[in-house]
Amino acid sequence: MTLAIVPLTPLERGQLHVIRLRAIRNALVVLAAAVVAEIFVPDLPMRGLILAPALLLALWIAVFAPGRSWRRWGYAFTGSELHVEYGLFTRVHTIVPVLRVQHIDVAQDVLERLFGVARLIVHTAGSENNFVVLPGISRDTAEGIRDAIRERIGSAGHD
Amino acid sequence: MTEAGSAPQRLHVLTVIMRFVKRAPSTLVVPPLVLGFAGREFHPVLAFGTFAAIAAAVIVTTWLGWWTFTYTIGEEEVLIQHGLVQRSRRSIPRGRIQDVSIERSPFARIFGLALVRIETGGGKAEEAELDSVSLAEAERLRALLRAYRPAASERADETSPAEPERRTVYAMSLGRVLLRGVFGFSMLWLAAIYGAIHSIDRVVEFDWEKWFGEAERVALAQFSLLALLLVLAIALLLGVLAGIVRTLLRDYGFMLSHEPGRFRRVRGLLTRSEVVIADRRIQLGLVHRGAISGRLGWNTVAVQTLGGSDDPSGRQELAPFATAAEAAEVVAATPLPPFERIGLRPVASAHILRSAIRHGLPVALVFGIAGWFLPPLWWGLLLVPVPVIIALFQRSFHRYALRDTSLQVMRGVLSQRDWTVPFESIQTLTVQQSWLQRRLGVATVVVDTAGASGLHRPNVTDAPLDAALALTQALAARVD
Repeated sequence: MTLAIVPLTPLERGQLHVIRLRAIRNALVVLAAAVVAEIFVPDLPMRGLILAPALLLALWIAVFAPGRSWRRWGYAFTGSELHVEYGLFTRVHTIVPVLRVQHIDVAQDVLERLFGVARLIVHTAGSENNFVVLPGISRDTAEGIRDAIRERIGSAGHD
Repeated sequence: MTEAGSAPQRLHVLTVIMRFVKRAPSTLVVPPLVLGFAGREFHPVLAFGTFAAIAAAVIVTTWLGWWTFTYTIGEEEVLIQHGLVQRSRRSIPRGRIQDVSIERSPFARIFGLALVRIETGGGKAEEAELDSVSLAEAERLRALLRAYRPAASERADETSPAEPERRTVYAMSLGRVLLRGVFGFSMLWLAAIYGAIHSIDRVVEFDWEKWFGEAERVALAQFSLLALLLVLAIALLLGVLAGIVRTLLRDYGFMLSHEPGRFRRVRGLLTRSEVVIADRRIQLGLVHRGAISGRLGWNTVAVQTLGGSDDPSGRQELAPFATAAEAAEVVAATPLPPFERIGLRPVASAHILRSAIRHGLPVALVFGIAGWFLPPLWWGLLLVPVPVIIALFQRSFHRYALRDTSLQVMRGVLSQRDWTVPFESIQTLTVQQSWLQRRLGVATVVVDTAGASGLHRPNVTDAPLDAALALTQALAARVD
């Protein structure tokens, strides 16, 4: 269900694990909050009124959403543009022309390093898309794109 | 004329007095009064002692702040340092300075000072302010900083006091300013006045409770449509007056002039602000017609510039209240192409449905829910058809076209906006499809530019999917 502008490459499998682990953490937070609410909110008409939907939500966050979310990501680097597409309910496809890139970072947090994925962060002069993040690609790919963009900007001259 | 390696300079010494006077009401008047009146009896010793202590502290800190602030105009950079314990340095390369603008608040004019604002392309965080220097120094600085040329340029390096070829593009007479004020209705000032009354309440012992409690009980007992209308009418009148006063203060003596490469805009009654807008900073142009003023033929011409602006909208207003002919003249003076109304394609008819939902649903929800608490508000639901009917026209009023050098988008039924976005201003492009848009087969093209702010963007909303994709690819190809 992509927006068919260019053929897109999916993210690394490692990113799926990263998303899953983060989702489990979020689900636990939701459950903890629900348990606290369950204990401390007075006169609930029925036991488990807060806990039951919270449990369903946590289940969805931790089990069903990660896979779906991971599958919806895609990227492409055409040499003159970087395309990043994502989104579960709202599909978003962002095109960053290489000539508009101000600077680039490659980042990895602990979890991402564990699973061998990295994030490419592209900074532009835009207001909403001030930086565009492409997570879940291998470090080599990220550095390859970074170097290619830097070369292209360098040859075009600085602004 | 560049004074290479000049010594660090301080701001004008009168700044200390000016800042002291500015701070006086909040630090020197209110706290002593509050403490003095503590316990409903006036303690002169306590009040005066507090006054003296605070005054001494304020004088010392203001003077220290002045003493530790220095600026240096070097050959390649402007260096600004301040801070006593933790010395902070900011270095601004002279090549990055886009503009130097001068502002004179009423206080500053009394003291003969001016505030110099050095603007770079980096937005508010990277600006520098010299608050305040003498007017002569301000103008010297501006001429000096503008004279910097990193590479060879066609223009001579000497800055003559009278800029060559400056012509007035647009000016507002007093009548025009007042007319704009009438349309500048603002409820915000009523909120401010109310807030002021509340804070005075803390210092002065006045039994508002007793007075307003009575009024409240009376009002609830006689809740009538007439009373409500009367209150609304008074609020409206006050709002209009507030709008006129605010516009007069801000736009008195508005004059926009153009010289090669830049605009210069002067306006203000008490605070005289002078802003320079370089042509090459202009990212996009916007012509706005308000819901009522637009019907009467009044346009606002504004541009979005790199580095943001002080205008409340975030964009620089070049002509806030202009006829169509005047607006066309202003746009012609910018490097932007004129907005052509022919050859624009409308978006898909699904836009009508989404607009109806987006504008009608909140109204329905607000009155529906409020009606549970106050049944008379159910009548508010009669308002719901209004945005829905307007939505019927949204589609034919939302059009776009790809021109030779720019993307032009028009949008809005009551409040209309014409956008002109040159291709080189486009930073990133995004195609978005919400869940509903996927079902309707439409998408939104989001055009991101530098220095955008406020709620409105030159986006094309709800174009048919293939048209949206084609537009995006065409725009991406034009980025060069």
